[in-house]
Amino acid sequence: MIKTPPYLEPGDTIGIVCPAGFMAYEKAAECIRVLTEEWGFRVQVGKTLGGSSENYFSGTDKERLADLQVMLDDDNVKAILFARGGYGMGRIIDDINFEQFKKNPKWLIGYSDITVLHTHLYTNYYISSMHAPMAAAFNNAGYINRFVGSLKSALSGNFARYSCEAHDLNRTGAGIGELVGGNLALLANVIGTDSDFKTRERILFIEDVGEYIYSADRMFLQLKRAGKLKKLAGLIIGGFTDMKDTERPFGKTIYESIREHVKEYDYPVCFGFPVSHTDENYALKIGVGYKLKVGKSKVTLEE
Amino acid sequence: MNRKEFLTSTSTLLAVGSLPVMAPAHSFSTDPVPQIPPYLEKGDLIGITSPAGYLLPGDMIPTIRQLEAWGFRVLTGVTIGKRSGSLAGTDEERLADIQSMLDNPEVKAIFCARGGYGSVRIVEQIDWSRFRKRPKWILGFSDITVLHSYINRNIGVASLHSKMGNAFPADPLNIDQVIRETAESIRQALTGGVICYPVKPHARNRQGIAQGVLVGGNLKTLESLSGSKSDLDTRNKILFVEDVGEYLYSIDRMFWNLKQTGKLEKLAGLVIGGFRMKPMENPEEEFGLDLYDIVLEKVKGQKYPVCFDFPVGHQKNNYALKCGVRHKLVVGGENVSLTENL
Repeated sequence: MIKTPPYLEPGDTIGIVCPAGFMAYEKAAECIRVLTEEWGFRVQVGKTLGGSSENYFSGTDKERLADLQVMLDDDNVKAILFARGGYGMGRIIDDINFEQFKKNPKWLIGYSDITVLHTHLYTNYYISSMHAPMAAAFNNAGYINRFVGSLKSALSGNFARYSCEAHDLNRTGAGIGELVGGNLALLANVIGTDSDFKTRERILFIEDVGEYIYSADRMFLQLKRAGKLKKLAGLIIGGFTDMKDTERPFGKTIYESIREHVKEYDYPVCFGFPVSHTDENYALKIGVGYKLKVGKSKVTLEE
Repeated sequence: MNRKEFLTSTSTLLAVGSLPVMAPAHSFSTDPVPQIPPYLEKGDLIGITSPAGYLLPGDMIPTIRQLEAWGFRVLTGVTIGKRSGSLAGTDEERLADIQSMLDNPEVKAIFCARGGYGSVRIVEQIDWSRFRKRPKWILGFSDITVLHSYINRNIGVASLHSKMGNAFPADPLNIDQVIRETAESIRQALTGGVICYPVKPHARNRQGIAQGVLVGGNLKTLESLSGSKSDLDTRNKILFVEDVGEYLYSIDRMFWNLKQTGKLEKLAGLVIGGFRMKPMENPEEEFGLDLYDIVLEKVKGQKYPVCFDFPVGHQKNNYALKCGVRHKLVVGGENVSLTENL
């Protein structure tokens, strides 16, 4: 069974770093306040949050790597929350030293660009990490919603029992397996690399944002042609939000197209699960066993 | 590049002999060198089909007129003018159209009308058995990279990376010189002319000489093939890539994919075509690296030549390139060229 890092106790320290795109400190201030004042943790802020970088990144590759490495190696830090994604984890992933982390695993929390790290850890170290809301999700009272709440609950060691409404395109059924997945663009991008992932007899979840429908279709077909949709225990399609279309419309929604691409398989498929780039984004533990039930009126995902 | 330079003989190019040859002839990839389909002669039939994006029936008139002016006959497929969403017909219709062209022994070359998106939706359903026995030239680029890669990897047949329906001007009298040259490069390549393109040297080029089979195409499409049956084997080959309309960070991520899947490791040479980037919506999010930085950091430690600004891509100066055919890439301080290696 996959190794799960220790769950957190009140008073434990959570490190916050930006391994990819730049984020101003103010935008993470509410998250830091909630983690300390409302949830009772301590916070250690890395140099890459609100740093002096003037370009897209939160720092140079070296600076981002060093900041993350310090947090990984510091045994006092019990979890690392990535402040934001964007782009940049793939530039440093092969240079991260996981030796100390392997001995003392801790929860690494984030999504989107962080997907690279999730699949990398799952494939190479078989250590679980958390696909979950990041700092911006706490803003505008977001920390009160059940999605940010699910992160607190997951970090505290509670087992998840999520449910959502049935979608017309769903294929009913039940499946049990390790959960793997994340952002579709990143999942496609890591295929063939050292961070590539296995999906056989596992529950795969995907989400994406701001893509053209044709581009999402192409990435989904890449998963299919790379054999990643063949023997799934189940498939969870999260939000595909802010999708763009070409001048001559694609003619189908991405959900409709995905449904056609998986018609030859028989595992359960659910659409519109709350994992996405919107508020609706439940905390999910990569590599941990879940049971997916896609019923006629309700979908449940239980650890 | 004027017409005279375009026809520069290979012998003058080979005079740049003082540079190190990176990939000696005996170290070619284990893949056999692909078979070259028969070149075309006057009177031969060219089929036009669209395995990907939709286009209006009238869009192909200049192409048909030009192909006929060159002395070829043209067979227009049923997908020209068909539409299903953004695609030139349903998957079944596009598949049937290209299949009939592949299987028709009269058709000597297949001219893909447009890229866009859609080839990957049908490529694995295509029955290649007749094509394998009787190869023919397939022309196109961008989304058609899917077909080039598939047949390079699975069939072992050369194909032509070239402009498509937009290659030929609507008004034959208003002919821009570059447009005329790129159109002419298609005719030359199809009829057995030897590829020989001198290129303007670029300050960030890495010098050297490479020999190998030419492979490549649209970078985003190549990325989307990694892990699939069409995934390119780039060992000892000359790889060319181009792209359009992507964010710089996204281009960086695609080059990481090439590097991390080992495709930049044992190259003979690297050819970087046109890259027209999409600006970030928020100008403050400037990436901090330019295309040249992005490429050069990925090939640091490798010694093969790198040629920037090669005339291939989503642009006017997009010359025909024979994928799967052996070439010689010379990247010198003053002379840069890509030449078919006979």
